Amino acid sequence: MTSSVFKGPMNRRRAPRRISHSQRRDAPTRGEWRQRTQEQRQRHDKAPVDEVEEGERCEQLGKETVPRGSCRTMCPARELRDREAQNRLHRFEMLAGTERDRRPKGDPLHAVKEYSRPAAGKDSTHSSDLRPPAVLLKTVCYLIDDIAASPSQHPWTEIYGFVFDRLRGVKQDMIIQRVSGLNCVAILEPTVRFLIYASYRLCGEPLRLYDPRINETHLQENLSWLLDCYATGEGPYPNQEEFQALGLLYNLGSTRAAQHIMELPERLRSTPTIRLALSINQAFLERNPVRLLRLAQRLSFLQGCALHRHLVTCRRDLLLIFSHAYSSRNCRFPLDRLAQLLSLDMSLTAQLCQAYGVDVNQDNQVVFSKAAFTEYEQGKLHCKLYHSLVAEKQRDLTIGNIVHGCA
Amino acid sequence: MAHITINQYLQQVNEAIENHEGSFCAELLSFKHPHVANPRLQLSSPEEKCQQVLEPPYDEMVAAHLRCTHAVANHDFVEAYKFQTLVVQSFLRAFQSHKEENWALPVMFAVTLDLRIFANNAEQQLLKKGKGQPGEMLEKAAEQLMSCFRVCASDNRAGTEDSKKWGMMFLSNQLFKIYFKINKLHLCKPLIRAIDSSNLKNDYSQAQKVTYKYYVGRKAMFDSDFKPAEEFLSYAFDHCHRSSQKNKRMILIYLLPVKMLLGHMPTHQLLRKYDLMQFADVTKAVSEGNLLLLNEALSKHETFFIRCGIFLILEKLKIITYRNLFKKVYLLLRTHQLPLDAFLVALRMMQVEDVDIDEVQCILANLIYMSHIKGYISHQHQKLVVSKQNPFPPLSSVS
Repeated sequence: MTSSVFKGPMNRRRAPRRISHSQRRDAPTRGEWRQRTQEQRQRHDKAPVDEVEEGERCEQLGKETVPRGSCRTMCPARELRDREAQNRLHRFEMLAGTERDRRPKGDPLHAVKEYSRPAAGKDSTHSSDLRPPAVLLKTVCYLIDDIAASPSQHPWTEIYGFVFDRLRGVKQDMIIQRVSGLNCVAILEPTVRFLIYASYRLCGEPLRLYDPRINETHLQENLSWLLDCYATGEGPYPNQEEFQALGLLYNLGSTRAAQHIMELPERLRSTPTIRLALSINQAFLERNPVRLLRLAQRLSFLQGCALHRHLVTCRRDLLLIFSHAYSSRNCRFPLDRLAQLLSLDMSLTAQLCQAYGVDVNQDNQVVFSKAAFTEYEQGKLHCKLYHSLVAEKQRDLTIGNIVHGCA
Repeated sequence: MAHITINQYLQQVNEAIENHEGSFCAELLSFKHPHVANPRLQLSSPEEKCQQVLEPPYDEMVAAHLRCTHAVANHDFVEAYKFQTLVVQSFLRAFQSHKEENWALPVMFAVTLDLRIFANNAEQQLLKKGKGQPGEMLEKAAEQLMSCFRVCASDNRAGTEDSKKWGMMFLSNQLFKIYFKINKLHLCKPLIRAIDSSNLKNDYSQAQKVTYKYYVGRKAMFDSDFKPAEEFLSYAFDHCHRSSQKNKRMILIYLLPVKMLLGHMPTHQLLRKYDLMQFADVTKAVSEGNLLLLNEALSKHETFFIRCGIFLILEKLKIITYRNLFKKVYLLLRTHQLPLDAFLVALRMMQVEDVDIDEVQCILANLIYMSHIKGYISHQHQKLVVSKQNPFPPLSSVS
């Protein structure tokens, strides 16, 4: 019975994240501020039942249909056994000393339930396979403190791959059990911080190790779920201000994100953090990159990470409008001044100019010309080279500090 | 009519259905009609009576309608919504069996309109009791409306005259109302696409077209497509019935900012006529290039502008305000080579926060890029050199 209830499209309604019906027909445009989860879409597609009848049945069954987890470990015993037998343990999950065995042993203290795609006929609602909210929270802390933040020999892309997948598994358990309220917020907040940090740290990594598109999709989902929690719950949410600002900075220029901020209560909107984020957004909309980059100096490290993907556009805007405005045969613009405005050093500034077809002469003078400006070819520009504005903010912050919000 | 017996009522419904009298049938099922206040019809279990007179699925539809009147009389909108859903569902079953006929469209309009209204009321009632999520009921109602929409849109067999496609625009408009309310504007897109590709799109009733253009215009505005937004909203404003002052005012709330962005300022008279004086200072500030006044006007009416969802769009007027302010500087100095310092002084007079010469250059650069100013900046001489001819082209010619 539980499985049929779970597959019905209406009972998802009980989950704090409300998904609208017709999204299945209307694929959201890329970069849509709020996106549905992939797993939900799949479940959706497999349930062409009459939605209302199904919904009503759930209503009658009432609350006892919500699956409740009873698994006390980060990884259900059955999954650990199976993955051990199938040799599908991640190296972070192996019992120390057995890594080099033909069939390494799983370590129940380090194994974490992996994300698995919902499929027809698969029942993901067994209470022994689901972790209750307290265990989920513990799992998130483990993933951050013992994996993401621990000094290790492994490349960070591998750490990210593991943590990303296991956090996705945590989210799946939350959706199935319709976790809401303070627990939900406590899990989502570090998840969002982790994904924002990763979007900066892994920028420019090869696609097979890090896909910015997929990271963004998950980040947006978690973020919008989190903002929904703030909007519907009682609180108190001491970190709300931080995440509202992060949401706006990450979605700079999005009407929807800005409108959301505008609709917040005045006392929240007028906090310095959110005011700064709003000013940056305003500068972006007015196409005033000089002001934007200047305000960006005042951001914290994590806020810088959230903003960082817009810095390319912002610097491009500056070169574009200057190419139009300073386009006169005898006019020159000193490179060092331009470097200051772009918050870059001289050599990177020259490199950036070159990427956009802007001429820099031997005397370190920039010769702007309307006709010469060209959009760079895809892949020619390495965002990572221009990270200094954000990188300088990190100083001695550890990953643990960043993800736990001590930054 | 208001005091007829249940038997008389059912007879009337039966006749209306048998004679395909869509409008009359619609009245008999609509909450705009006085029969819903008739206590003799407000029954909690009318099923048997309905079965005696009516064929399925009409018996179910009418029974649900009567139970709905009962619930409304008790001010229980959660119940009312539940029964109205049943009304729509049984109606839809009947409607689908009407091959190549569309006489029942008025009935669909009536029952779906009531469904949306009850969903709204039910939600308010639930939220007051601290139950339910905002948007939950409306989303469910939207699903029902969508199933009606699908039936209408897929009616490809009937000739134009008898096509159920005539129901599409009404349903779109109802759905728009919901999507705007629950903030899911991206869901409007497939509806707009469906209407756009329909060959009836110009032949719907004027009232429906006005509503439709109003929402499509607002959607375009939200997507920052100001030119089409102006077009749609202007159509809605020009064709809205003169007696619907309230609707015209609603259209203006969105049309004004778009027009202003494109350089057309409203007259004082118009603002007064439609009681939209909140815009008066904004208009004045933009025309005068008075940034200080603009900021004041925006913060003074902030609540109103945010509630209407136009605050962010009005903020975009700053760019035009810069242009108008800088034009004044040019007119004062009467030269084609304007020192950048002069602009800095002007901005400081307007109490623009911690602005310096670098920012002045950036603002000017953007205005030049947007063709609001014809000229170039000389960094060596710290001057803006403007064209001898028409250095500040009229706004409406630019965007």
